[in-house]
Amino acid sequence: MRKRCFPWLLLLPQLFFGLLFLSGILLGLGWSFGLSPLRGGVGLTLRYYGEIFRRADTLPSILYSVKTSALSALFSVLLGILIAAFMIRSRWDRGILLSVIKLPILVPHVITALFFINTISQNGLLARLCFHFGWIQSQGDFPLFVYDRFGIGVILAYLWKEAPFIAYFVLSLMAGVSRRLGEAAVNLGATERRAFFEITLPLCLPTIFSGFLIIFTFSLGAYELPALMGATVPKALPILAYQEFQKDLSNRPIALSYNGILMGLSLLSALIYRFLLMGGERREK
Amino acid sequence: MRKAFLILLSLLILLPLFSLFFWVFTERWPWPNILPKDFSERALKSTIARAGELGNVFFTSILLSLLASFFSVLIAVLSGRALAFYDFPGKRLISSLMLLPFLVPSTVFSMGAQILFLKTALYSSIPGVLLCHILYSLPYANILLNEGTRALGEGLEEQARVLGAGPVRAFFSVSLPNLFPLLLSAFTMAYVISISQYFMTLLIGGGRVKTFSVVMVPYLQSGERNFAALYALIFLLVTTLVFFIFEGIARACTGGRRAELFSDY
Repeated sequence: MRKRCFPWLLLLPQLFFGLLFLSGILLGLGWSFGLSPLRGGVGLTLRYYGEIFRRADTLPSILYSVKTSALSALFSVLLGILIAAFMIRSRWDRGILLSVIKLPILVPHVITALFFINTISQNGLLARLCFHFGWIQSQGDFPLFVYDRFGIGVILAYLWKEAPFIAYFVLSLMAGVSRRLGEAAVNLGATERRAFFEITLPLCLPTIFSGFLIIFTFSLGAYELPALMGATVPKALPILAYQEFQKDLSNRPIALSYNGILMGLSLLSALIYRFLLMGGERREK
Repeated sequence: MRKAFLILLSLLILLPLFSLFFWVFTERWPWPNILPKDFSERALKSTIARAGELGNVFFTSILLSLLASFFSVLIAVLSGRALAFYDFPGKRLISSLMLLPFLVPSTVFSMGAQILFLKTALYSSIPGVLLCHILYSLPYANILLNEGTRALGEGLEEQARVLGAGPVRAFFSVSLPNLFPLLLSAFTMAYVISISQYFMTLLIGGGRVKTFSVVMVPYLQSGERNFAALYALIFLLVTTLVFFIFEGIARACTGGRRAELFSDY
């Protein structure tokens, strides 16, 4: 009997937090479907979702959020792999460089936003340098990287923070694979490039996919960078949601419907990830 | 070529950090000057004049994040044991639900939790914010410790039991020291996650729980970049100091063995 209860006893605090998590999520999701915690709810309905999709700014916002997140994750993954591979090849995968790589992981997003506004905005250092060298005639000639419609500044800021994260995330795995199997392939006559692309990279792919998913879902739901560096139109989904959330109580279900869409999108990306991983496993068999 | 790339990369990481020193003293910087026109110690002086307030902000931030990471690690150790050493119905379900906060954005949870907490004492209180921080730091600790506890196995503890140690002593003097590097990684990761939370702290704390990011963002939005830079600089210095202390404690606890924060997992 004791043996049967003991694991549950150990899990008790975890279950408490699981319950708190689910209540928060379900309360929000329920209200977005009309199940209001207040008196006088309207009952189960899809009308809030209908309403946000009738708004002109919803679809551009979804596209903006998905696009900036996917590009941030994609570029971070590519650059991160390059950094990790270079670190391993030049045997600089320990010591000072590793500590430098870890730094951006510790820097909060609000500070990252400060760096990028200082550097790449139309008033930033880069624009001043371009003017100084005579490449642009006025402030307005400098491309709009911050507060721009395409989210270039936001993507660059994520890249600064997340590419080192990916490098750090795959480094020890990649170093292990490359030293054991990659070098064996090189001894058997493969070029370094071929050994990397046909041995090391495929074996690291599942971890790289997880890294992509972590960055994608994080930036999809993140508030700080798009709020501080994003355009007024289109806005990222979490910003739209918070805007509605701050208005009066009758707008709550609208805000929570935006959250419902966000959740749907990140669960969908997780399913695609599972599917890809399973496909990979089947191929290995 | 490769090394040049890596050096350039390090510069791109380090230069923005060092540029903060410069920004703190920048008062007026009209276009198109390459260097600021006026320097002043206004941000520094005014912040020193309100040092008590600033001290409170950092005290709250650090205490909150230390508690959040302590509880995350504690809970993850317990759950890791339950999952590694016992079989029970629903085990697979629980271990996948544990990772759910990775998939549900913290903004989504924060708005739901604010509605949940609104009528309770948890709203705009430190304990309420703490609960939510733990929730989002916990999965990182879970991943590390589920894996680590399974890898360590029960064997060593059983040997200690055979030699006459009680279950509590076997855990504290055999398993815990072996898990220590992992505990440290989990603690660091949880600390970083917690201290970087802005939206969640703002929403659950109702603006009354003042952590570093909640105080810094208004300066950034109002364009007072010298103040924002000063806060960022102090934050980074304090974080470095905290990590330095972590590492010192780690060295002392492992008896001088090399213990690296964020060690490989």
